[in-house]
Amino acid sequence: MEKGYVMRPGENGFERAVGILEMVYKFGANVSDEAVEGAANFVFPELRNTVLGLLELPANRDLEIFFFQRLLELLWEAQRAQSEGKKLIFIPFTFPPELFWAFDSLFPLCTEIVSGLIVNICYGQGERFWDYAMSLGLPDSMCSGNTIGIASILAGPGLKPDAIVYNTPGSCNPNAKIHAFAADYLGVPQFILEKPVDESPRGREQYYKYLLRFVRELEEWTGEELKEERLREVMQRAYRAVDLYNEYWELKKARPCPVPNIFSMTLLVLRSQMWGREECVEVLRRMVDISKERLRKGEFTAPEEVARIYVSYIYWLFDFYNYFTWMEKKGISILGDILAIHYFPPIDFSSKESMLRAYADIAFDYPMTRQMGAESISLRWVDDVAWAVQDLGADACVFGGVHACKHTLGTISFFRRELMKRLGIPTLVLIGDVFDKRQTPMEIFQREVETFVEQVVSRKKAGRRRRTG
Amino acid sequence: MAVSGTALEIREIYDPYVRGWKEKGGGVVGYSCLATPVELIEAAGLLPYRIKALGNPRTDMADGEMSLFNCSFCRSCLQLALDGTYDFLDGLIETNGCDHLRAMFENWQHNKNLPFFHYLKVPHFFRDDSLEYFRGELELLRQHLASHFSAQADDDSLRRSMQDWNLVREKWRELCELRELPEPRVTGSEALALELAGSRMTGKDFAALLSSFIEERRSAPGRRPGARLMLCGPATDEVAWMEEMENLGAVVVADTLCFGSRAFLHRPGTAGDPLDELAEGYLDSIFCPRMYKEYDRRRTYMLETAERARVDGAIYLYNKFCDLHGTDSVLVRRDLEKAGIPVLVLEKEYSAAADLGRIKTRVQAFLERIGGGR
Repeated sequence: MEKGYVMRPGENGFERAVGILEMVYKFGANVSDEAVEGAANFVFPELRNTVLGLLELPANRDLEIFFFQRLLELLWEAQRAQSEGKKLIFIPFTFPPELFWAFDSLFPLCTEIVSGLIVNICYGQGERFWDYAMSLGLPDSMCSGNTIGIASILAGPGLKPDAIVYNTPGSCNPNAKIHAFAADYLGVPQFILEKPVDESPRGREQYYKYLLRFVRELEEWTGEELKEERLREVMQRAYRAVDLYNEYWELKKARPCPVPNIFSMTLLVLRSQMWGREECVEVLRRMVDISKERLRKGEFTAPEEVARIYVSYIYWLFDFYNYFTWMEKKGISILGDILAIHYFPPIDFSSKESMLRAYADIAFDYPMTRQMGAESISLRWVDDVAWAVQDLGADACVFGGVHACKHTLGTISFFRRELMKRLGIPTLVLIGDVFDKRQTPMEIFQREVETFVEQVVSRKKAGRRRRTG
Repeated sequence: MAVSGTALEIREIYDPYVRGWKEKGGGVVGYSCLATPVELIEAAGLLPYRIKALGNPRTDMADGEMSLFNCSFCRSCLQLALDGTYDFLDGLIETNGCDHLRAMFENWQHNKNLPFFHYLKVPHFFRDDSLEYFRGELELLRQHLASHFSAQADDDSLRRSMQDWNLVREKWRELCELRELPEPRVTGSEALALELAGSRMTGKDFAALLSSFIEERRSAPGRRPGARLMLCGPATDEVAWMEEMENLGAVVVADTLCFGSRAFLHRPGTAGDPLDELAEGYLDSIFCPRMYKEYDRRRTYMLETAERARVDGAIYLYNKFCDLHGTDSVLVRRDLEKAGIPVLVLEKEYSAAADLGRIKTRVQAFLERIGGGR
């Protein structure tokens, strides 16, 4: 059995994941609990947790099937892109993809989405690709979020990018270096948009200049001019998604939170890969509608909302079921993470320049780039999370640290103290990995979160209730 | 022997040279990254002091702020800030060298709140637009230094300081020639000790120290090495560690270290506007893996250095969790070995005595592989 699941001749990890994901088309409408259970029992354990994480709770079942079908169609497009004369580029999850959709000759594929697909769909998750990267001599302190995806491309046959595009020099060393490494190793061009660690008007203006040059370089490479009309079309779609995102954010404020936990993951994939496309708008609209309906009906998965958690960094994404679903069943609402905090400036669609100005602001303030590329990582980070915590009414923060992320690990002590000082909000600090369960297994995560909620969050709330009578 | 003794005496952070400077009423400004033009600090009448840990193995206080997944060199430096060793500093200049360094500086400032704290933002590539931005950054730094310390820092004082530091670079090249001789007159650990001494001196004094040292060594007998090594990697200031490696029979005849030859690659001219010259001279020659789209230049520089020094092998050394050098090490090993230069990649913890035995075993094995050592 194992051999068939591992890899097929001529395929790399990405292609194998896409192949397995085709099972999502086996599901029709109104899927029953029995069908979900049957599917979960049919597949290998890693995929089982994905199937259950996405489909066990009826509230998100239809949405996740719809979403993954759209995602799969997009991935098929990625596979066909080169044969259709497009250039396939890898971009990191810190790069707003809408700009690239405005180029007819480019197809952006988010490196971290490739990793996530492999980890959550393939047998053995991404471990063999991580291990392959280590065998090249790369340090084990790199980020599995991108290293797995890139290593699968370097290791296997099949699809290869035409260029590597990234914007993380200065905000994240492992991310920038693995992308630069991949370009050097594969011998393909690399295009970089650097954010100066400078939040003054001078820094923003410099970033805009860099962006213009970056666009020019892409135009020269592709031989395609970025057309105003095409950019407008994409940005207008992106801003329809922005309106829905704002509604989604407002819904998160309700008690109990009507938004299913797994939607946090869905939003992340939409933003990193699909923003600016029609499917993104469609999926977001359904997410909002489902959440509104749950709010109207007062639906909540657990008997009560025990805790409202803000994940002050990023989710661990190697086991949807034991992360998102488990918390939801325990009555723990996940209100968001750092990647959910977006700043969308007002946009003027009247000219290419005005739209690129808006895009520059979006990218400058894009999650992670904004905080880890700030003049002060710790202050910008704590400011943003404190704002989200207050706005959404979180009881506590969980810092699911990632061993590769030296910027946040280097400033987490200050962050925790400062958040407590400012808002009286406690933070549970855990260190593990976004995509590699071998760092910290989900069982440990669950035990720590459960204890934290019982011993700190619930007691704190009970104390508050006693004080207020 | 007197000069060598002086150079090798630098064993404490707040040492007599800096103490003497402070006692005369001088101000001291710390910096860490080689992208910081020391000329600007000195032109403001201040002593530039490159942050170092001199092998300090303690990190307990720093570990309360940073994690164990952060570079132990940065934690070691932060420890010395938190325990008061660095309280003599009148100011600090942060640069966006790497994620660890940025975290170190932030924690330093949160805890110590130095009256002068400046963030010099250094672009990650060398281009006309990034150069223009960097030039502006240098102007901001100059203004901040001048206003905070009530200093002149005008073009004339800057030019003088640039001349002093260019002389230092010239002397360093002479020193390297002595290292590269068939029988080197200077060892790698001596060169490292000199750099550590000089990176807390004025340019004039450092040039004088190098001159005396070079003169002394020109007539001294050389040492026939068991193997000629090139040491590549980031900031390491562990003289004792390098002595241990050289005691195995090799001599480090060339290096591309951050505390080492990389510190002397800047070549700002003096003919034009001094800030223009400084900006270009620095940004164009950082030679650190923090710079992007510059791997080819780094490779060429390493290959040329290796060829000139006729090395038998190279050791690429980096501290655990250094993603910048760790990633570059893969490409460097590939390319140096392709050129016939055997490479040993060593990942280590900073100043960990427990690590030394393991490292020595690996270096010994490497020396055996390349036909050197004892």
